[in-house]
Amino acid sequence: MALKVIYEVKNVSKTYGAVVALDGASLKLHAGEVVGLVGDNGAGKSTLVKVLSGAHSPDSGQILLDGEERTWHNPKEALEAGIETLYQDSGLAPHLTVSQNVFLGREKFVKGIFGKLGFLARKQMEDEAQADLEAVGIAFPSANRPVSQLSGGQRQAVAIGRAVSWARKVLILDEPTNHLGARQSGEVLEVIKRAKKKGLGVIFISHTLPHVLEVTDRIVVLRLGKIVRDAPTSEYTADTLIGTITGSYGSDE
Amino acid sequence: MSQVQASFKNQSVLLVVTLVILAVVFQIASQGIFLTTNTLGTVLNDWGSYILLAVAQTFVVITGGIDLSVGATVSLSSVVAGWVLVKGLGLDSSITGDAAIPYVLLSVLVCLLVGLAVGALNAFLINILKIVPFIATLATMGAMTGLAIIISGGMPLQGPNNFKLGLPYNIFGVQLPISTTVLSVMIILVICGLFLHKSKFGLYTFALGSNPFATRAAGISPAKHLTKVYMLSGGLAGLAGAYAYIRLGAGSPTNGAGMELYAIAATVIGGASLMGGVGRIVGVALGTLVLFTVQSGLLMVKVVTVSPSLKQVIVAILIAAAVAVQTLQKPGRK
Repeated sequence: MALKVIYEVKNVSKTYGAVVALDGASLKLHAGEVVGLVGDNGAGKSTLVKVLSGAHSPDSGQILLDGEERTWHNPKEALEAGIETLYQDSGLAPHLTVSQNVFLGREKFVKGIFGKLGFLARKQMEDEAQADLEAVGIAFPSANRPVSQLSGGQRQAVAIGRAVSWARKVLILDEPTNHLGARQSGEVLEVIKRAKKKGLGVIFISHTLPHVLEVTDRIVVLRLGKIVRDAPTSEYTADTLIGTITGSYGSDE
Repeated sequence: MSQVQASFKNQSVLLVVTLVILAVVFQIASQGIFLTTNTLGTVLNDWGSYILLAVAQTFVVITGGIDLSVGATVSLSSVVAGWVLVKGLGLDSSITGDAAIPYVLLSVLVCLLVGLAVGALNAFLINILKIVPFIATLATMGAMTGLAIIISGGMPLQGPNNFKLGLPYNIFGVQLPISTTVLSVMIILVICGLFLHKSKFGLYTFALGSNPFATRAAGISPAKHLTKVYMLSGGLAGLAGAYAYIRLGAGSPTNGAGMELYAIAATVIGGASLMGGVGRIVGVALGTLVLFTVQSGLLMVKVVTVSPSLKQVIVAILIAAAVAVQTLQKPGRK
């Protein structure tokens, strides 16, 4: 691939007590590329996501963003560096409106002294949230509605729209099509394709293998904390992918 | 307007309707003496001593926490203010009128600082020692009540005061139900309301109570924000301590006894959810007003003999009714 490597982990390991969650995993992500991260439960996907998003520090190994070695002490540092993560269990704050969720942590303020005191430019954020979500191709109800009134699919769409509109370099999506119907999953996959066109590096974690095969350029298979195969999506079929995940099909190593 | 906003508005409408009904009932039951400027002044004066605690509780409850130490903070802060003036500066209650104003302002400052310190202690217990808010603030409540008794020797410390501050204004012979202290409290209430509903601080307060994980994922530090919220709660409780000092002209270790329960009751009646994420200052202000209308009204009932203890029963009914209304307004929601 001609595109440059935007985000990379080299040889990262992480243990929790006696459990080896990640064992020398290395992964390269190019700009404008969608990489699928698959593996059985306990294979280390979640741990790798937490390392990539800055939620956990690895015990050993390197993290490189744009070729520069970085250390994340918390998710905020990774966020500020342009790495946006959508966790499967985080979601949105249901009592807040769509626009409040989209801008959470990055609020806009009114001008002048009241802005300095932290007073929010509500209307501006509502308009911009609306525009941002439409720009990434998400159909959603008005931006001043509380998230608790949205359906599961709409909530997920808002969460993804939020991540896509904020991501500057890397977008990490952990199970974004979980619990979604076929049509809504289709919308999510379209959003991922748009993010790719935007030049973002996308890491897509999913158990739904047809979605992975449809939207990714490359698939990385994790098993027992190790990366057992990293190959272009075209080299997998549904059967060989399942075989690689479960270990019944021959792997790289 | 969204349905959730509408239901908040409904809560306020319900509270206003409740207030009107209470006023009519008490007016009849008191044989026409309830609806007077005097009574309204009494109600607002009581309201003023509790509303700061209710507002403090509202911020904390919206984050999904609770602050049981607010009443003890009232006692402690008023006692420390009394101690500073009486033991520290060697003053006594013979200083009144304008001469007392600087000392009254000093008492407000001392109370505020004591409150902030108690809030910081709560935040430490919750964030650093990872004690759940209920237990952390229960411990602080006990400790601060004890400290207040130790510092005061169990007796009220009478110091300089200007009682006029707590008396209703009389403008050109017309008596108003509002005093300087009540007016000050109203201004603080409005400022707190603006910050809760219009500022980033308020937004993060709701976000934290709504979904702490999503809030953290958005790059917001829950510990930092909770520290601010508990310090705000402590600071407001300290100001309520100053209110008590000015009202009584003394710092007494019993000034705040039991106030936390009324504050929590007012918060819940005002529509805040103990589950977090929900609450409005307007509702809480009205909820507190309902409580003290009942309180004052029952004392004036003449047509039947009413035990003052009935007020506790009525407060309990109001709490149950408020929570039931909240639940019924949100069918099928978690």
